[in-house]
Amino acid sequence: MQPRSRLAPRINRPQIAVRQLRKTYPGGVEAVKGIDFEVGSGEVFGLLGPNGAGKSTTVGMLTTTIVPSGGRAFVAGYDVATEPLSARRVSSVVFQDAVVDRTLTGRRNLDVHARLWAVDPETARGRIAELANTLGLDELLDRPVSTYSGGERRRLEIARALVSEPQVLFLDEPTVGLDPRIRHELLDVIGRLRDRNEITILLTTHYLDEAERLCDRIAIIHSGQIVALDAPAALLAGLGHELVELRVDGDASTALASLRARGIAGDDAFTIGSTLTVPLHDRAAAHAMAEIHQSELAPSSISTRQPTLDDVYLQLTGARLAEAA
Amino acid sequence: MTAISPEAVLPRPRAARNPFSPLATLAARRFQLSTRTPRELIVPLLTPIMFALVIAPALKQALHTSATYEAFVATGTVGLLIPLNTMFAGLGVIVDRESGAQRELLAAPIPRAFLVLGNLAVAFAITALQVAVLIAVAIARGIHFHATGTGIVWFVAAASLFTIGMYGAAETLASRVPKAEEYIARVPAIAIVPWFLAGSLFPISALPGFLSWFAKFLPLTHGLALVRYGLLGDSTGLHNIWRLHDATAMASLSLLVVAVFAAVLTMVSIRVFRHSAVH
Repeated sequence: MQPRSRLAPRINRPQIAVRQLRKTYPGGVEAVKGIDFEVGSGEVFGLLGPNGAGKSTTVGMLTTTIVPSGGRAFVAGYDVATEPLSARRVSSVVFQDAVVDRTLTGRRNLDVHARLWAVDPETARGRIAELANTLGLDELLDRPVSTYSGGERRRLEIARALVSEPQVLFLDEPTVGLDPRIRHELLDVIGRLRDRNEITILLTTHYLDEAERLCDRIAIIHSGQIVALDAPAALLAGLGHELVELRVDGDASTALASLRARGIAGDDAFTIGSTLTVPLHDRAAAHAMAEIHQSELAPSSISTRQPTLDDVYLQLTGARLAEAA
Repeated sequence: MTAISPEAVLPRPRAARNPFSPLATLAARRFQLSTRTPRELIVPLLTPIMFALVIAPALKQALHTSATYEAFVATGTVGLLIPLNTMFAGLGVIVDRESGAQRELLAAPIPRAFLVLGNLAVAFAITALQVAVLIAVAIARGIHFHATGTGIVWFVAAASLFTIGMYGAAETLASRVPKAEEYIARVPAIAIVPWFLAGSLFPISALPGFLSWFAKFLPLTHGLALVRYGLLGDSTGLHNIWRLHDATAMASLSLLVVAVFAAVLTMVSIRVFRHSAVH
């Protein structure tokens, strides 16, 4: 087999293309409402949003386990509706929940995947050994999966997805439910995959740090719609270089209108409850805070900080991601 | 709308494969899972063996019947073993869906019908083994069969097709029922009630008029009549259904009924599985 770097160079051709993709479940629940995006070869693309936003449904449609209600989707150029076998042949998925044969050994789980994806047995043996070594599964492979911890099982599932050397890897909330140490370890593993530049990854998460750390680009998805799509740095840059955050005792909306009238806050300032968040683009933080103190507003607290993806999400959706999740 | 042509990317070469190798992989996986769940292998065998070895001889003694009745009941228990075993095999589908690797298999580059057929292959093999054990134990207990080479062919064909049809019923039920508890609650109605009506312990001619007529529509009635025709050389069961004089013609008609049952239930099970597994 040729080296992968020659077969799948990092190029800006879409490995995933989604056009007006929609899913309405029986009962009329619109889980995905006509989304569009493309993921380039070797790119790590994040779908960021709370539970119920439509992330897993999107992954389900791309992996052909959920039938779209409308629109089209392509994986490695294959239409998931008309060429599902080809689309599945070039992709693998790590599901949000544990999807393993628990009474079988880890090795057998990997072997079944390799056989179903038509990996030559000798090649499969080599890859399994390599992946077991890379992911720290050497000592575990011949034990039933039922004896694995949550983190070990997750690593096994990632190894399984990689046995077939997919062109496109779907990671659906790969770290959800794991304790912080194991989560950190797994993020390292995914980060190493990212650094290899040989695989296109679509990652869904509701963890902002995960998206920011791993993804080349992020689509923020809310109620089945993509509300923003860009590189993490570009999304953050949209909120300026710094934020002023203040709490007021009265109506936050009135306070915000007052700040806007004075030219202190722009159109991108927003409120959540009694908290106003004012992005600063050209103005210095000290200058803005001094202007606020000079106004008739009497904030109970005022502070400055760097923008985060949480602020981006907050501004776009009006709800804190962590709360929504 | 912009379509992305397949040429837009570079699919990696894959080894050509035998189209049946995924089926073999799925069957091997299912077999390993089944052998790690001894209840699937042992529990279905217990009741029929008890009927064949304990209840039939006891009935013979209590009712002062002949040894023929023991053979009648022993063959009748095949009609209990097959539904029980296939229904237990269907539980594996629910386990796969609830806590197993079903979604991984659905994401595999294989036709989804293979998932059903792989399970069927293992259910069939285990059922065949259990039927062989039942007959061997019955022979060891001194029950006499009068099977010819042709008779064995009739028996194998009928038992095989009936097993395929019953597994189709099990897979269909497992795909439609959300919980194992609900599934198990329906097993008696599917696996046991028809057995009492299908001429297992007594000929269907002994049933009340309506039930006797109804029993003729049960695939199990045809299957049991064929099993007895094959293993005992007794065409009474076939005659009770068809009222003809040509035993071979009656056997052919009953085999056709069981074959249609097997084909229809297998197709339905694949369709229902695909529909329920992929939303």
